[in-house]
Amino acid sequence: MSGRRVDAKVVLLGQEGVGKSSLVERCAHRRFRPGPYQNTIGAAFVAKVMSVGDQTVTLGIWDTAGSERYEAMSRIYYRGARAAVVCYDLTDSSSFQRAKFWVNELQNCEEGCRIYLCGTKSDLLEEDRRKRGVDFHDVQDYADEIKAELFETSSKTGQSVDELFQKVAEDYVHFTAFQVMTEEKGVDLGQRSGAYFYSCCHH
Amino acid sequence: MAADVHKKKGWEVPNGSLAPGDGQHAERSESPTPGLAQGTEPGAGQEGAMFVHTRSYEDLTSPEDGAAAARSPEERRGEPAEPTSMEQISKDFSELSTQLTGMALDLEEEMRQSKEGKLEPSPQTTHRDSVLSGKEEEDVTMDAWRMHRKHVFVLSEAGKPVYSRYGSEEALSSTMGVMMALVSFLEAEKNAIRSIHAGTALGGNGMWGLMACLAVLLPWATLAVPRGRLVAGGRGCSLAPPCSPGEPGLQVCPRPSRGTPSQADGYKVVFVRRSPLVLVAVARTRQSEQEIAHELLYIYYQILSLLTWTQLNHIFQQKQNYDLRRLLAGSERITDNLLDLMAHDPSFLMGAVRCLPLAASVRDAVSTSLQQAKAKSLVFSILLSGNQLVSLVRKKDQFLHPIDLHLLFNLISSSSSFREGEAWTPICLPKFNSSGFFHAHISYLEQEMDLCLLLVSTDREDFFTVSDCKRRFQERLRRRGVHHALQEALRTPFYSVAQVGIPDLRHFIYKSKSSGLFTSPEIEAPYVREEEKERLLGLYQYLHSRAHNSSRPLKNIYFTGPRENLLAWVTSAFELYICYSPLGTKAGAISAVNKLMKWIRKEEDRLFILTPQTY
Ligand SMILES: Nc1nc2c(ncn2[C@@H]2O[C@H](COP(=O)(O)OP(=O)(O)OP(=O)(O)O)[C@@H](O)[C@H]2O)c(=O)[nH]1
Ligand SMILES: [Mg+2]
Repeated sequence: MSGRRVDAKVVLLGQEGVGKSSLVERCAHRRFRPGPYQNTIGAAFVAKVMSVGDQTVTLGIWDTAGSERYEAMSRIYYRGARAAVVCYDLTDSSSFQRAKFWVNELQNCEEGCRIYLCGTKSDLLEEDRRKRGVDFHDVQDYADEIKAELFETSSKTGQSVDELFQKVAEDYVHFTAFQVMTEEKGVDLGQRSGAYFYSCCHH
Repeated sequence: MAADVHKKKGWEVPNGSLAPGDGQHAERSESPTPGLAQGTEPGAGQEGAMFVHTRSYEDLTSPEDGAAAARSPEERRGEPAEPTSMEQISKDFSELSTQLTGMALDLEEEMRQSKEGKLEPSPQTTHRDSVLSGKEEEDVTMDAWRMHRKHVFVLSEAGKPVYSRYGSEEALSSTMGVMMALVSFLEAEKNAIRSIHAGTALGGNGMWGLMACLAVLLPWATLAVPRGRLVAGGRGCSLAPPCSPGEPGLQVCPRPSRGTPSQADGYKVVFVRRSPLVLVAVARTRQSEQEIAHELLYIYYQILSLLTWTQLNHIFQQKQNYDLRRLLAGSERITDNLLDLMAHDPSFLMGAVRCLPLAASVRDAVSTSLQQAKAKSLVFSILLSGNQLVSLVRKKDQFLHPIDLHLLFNLISSSSSFREGEAWTPICLPKFNSSGFFHAHISYLEQEMDLCLLLVSTDREDFFTVSDCKRRFQERLRRRGVHHALQEALRTPFYSVAQVGIPDLRHFIYKSKSSGLFTSPEIEAPYVREEEKERLLGLYQYLHSRAHNSSRPLKNIYFTGPRENLLAWVTSAFELYICYSPLGTKAGAISAVNKLMKWIRKEEDRLFILTPQTY
């Protein structure tokens, strides 16, 4: 019963305020809400049906909170994920450092998870080139090194958002076509532990 | 049990025979009197309560692992070992009044006048607008201050800023030295609650209070920076350093030489120390120290609900001068919201929960649907609308504490992020168990409907099972055909006092002590503007504090003011506060109370949850 409806678990990671929730909002509801920033509490789950060729794939998207408060328990959200969209804000270099942290985390704990680097808020660069805080070629090199895909998106204009999630769905279909289908089990019901703060791989 | 409810019409207990409330169900009378045993008053649950039995602020002060709180089945290890005993805290509370030196404030005068429980304050106390003298208006500091009636700060014991309600924490850090000096001056033992009155003559505690006020006020006289969104990881924004305290600083909170001193002239500085945190309020409200301390404790519990007591202590044991803002980044909005809510919503004052008015048959159908959509890991299923409870189903033998429910209400009302998708978030219910996290599934049932479902689970890995409970609940709701009735009820989430049919009655709050539930109509004219609504709540707060004064509790209070009259009646079974026209007489008020109590009894199955369910 667990994991019903969902084919592939996808997790969004990245520093707070980089635009993860906006990305999901654009992808799932085709809209952008400027309004005051509402940081996510814990994580939010959204199921999104995608079509790849004549197949449909349901992505179970976990939009996590960027706040450090939830870092210690982030593992419950990315465990078993087939894809991770690691976001950073194109105008903020510190957010890219944070993205690298998540990449390391995933490489250590989730080998089977494909990584998609996502530079967000590209519309801000169109307004003013000098706002770019993360060099494109540096990220490109880094993406090659970690074998990740790279996207630069804007949830405001919608630029490259669909492409990103389409690519995630296609890769899922292509890579699982050659594997024995195992039931997607987002969570391991057998494992229970006490206080979370100590049970995490990076502690 | 209690099957013969409503049977004995007109049964009344002779006045004065105060049967002790033993929580047992006896017969329910039509019109309750002081003789009613707890459990028989209107609103008392017929099959036992949903909540941990709670009184008011006294209850807030019990240790986080209070004996009354049930344990989460999963997280028993790591028991917090708070060194505080209940006796110590009640001692702290009773010592509060002796701490307050030089307070010739109106409260004192009112106390003296209230020998027979009758309060007739001087007109000045209610006409607070007249307090401002020309001199004060010239004072920028005073201006800035007046805008904020209550400042709240949280700092670590090492003196690091954690939270500030107004102004950035950076600005606050310069005053930390003074704050900490104060704290160490006051500190005798940990986890104490202390308060200071400022605005009175210098000397004794008054001087300390003045110093604290100065320290708090002066940096903002020039800075007055509203706290914006903390950028880049929430480490704080950079601000110009606060200017050094001005020379004639002692004029900051002068005491105008006028006839009757008013509370509004002075500040109360209240400290609550809950190791490893210190919480401070600098308030100009009419609230008592206990009530301000009560609010500070709510803030403390709010922080615990995000971190757990165990984690909070672990962090500070590792590193004494840890900057907690790192972990709390993004939560300021939740704390801000809690402070605002406490100024508007009587739930916090009453230490009780308000229910959405709903026909009993509809509520029962909702509760049954909720009860049937259970899962092994579920502890509480809560349906709420705004800050009102629609239904609550709990695991057998597990009781929720109203404070924990208030924190959940606040969490949900402070964020619109739950409107989308399904949230799955760790949450600590500090009064239930302060050492571990539950995982809460939070979602709105429908986009346009203000109906939020909260499923509290012990298993963080159980998302899909719990999510399925939501689906099953909605399905059952549809099958029972109560969806439409529910929608209808949500259209009028508050009832009008006019329904009671007492012309002079403006508003009331009635709390059933055994169920922990209260009911109150919508606040209507003449309390239209926000300030007016706050003023009304302020009057209730005032009566409440008088009724619960630890050294001189009053059972009956009759308060006459120029704009309204109020009456408070506190028994072992219920609390009633009514507000009515200033033209009404005391005799009129008493007959209104009788009529009102009959009305509440008649409506109780709509206004309360009389048959709480368990899985
Ligand atoms: N101009 C512009 N602003 C954006 C874009 N995406 C997000 N934002 C803004 O960035 C802020 C943060 O966006 P969120 O999507 O809430 O960020 P988040 O990563 O979910 O943050 P957390 O939930 O705290 O981890 C909001 O004020 C958004 O309006 C974008 O593509 N362009
Ligand atoms: Mg977010």
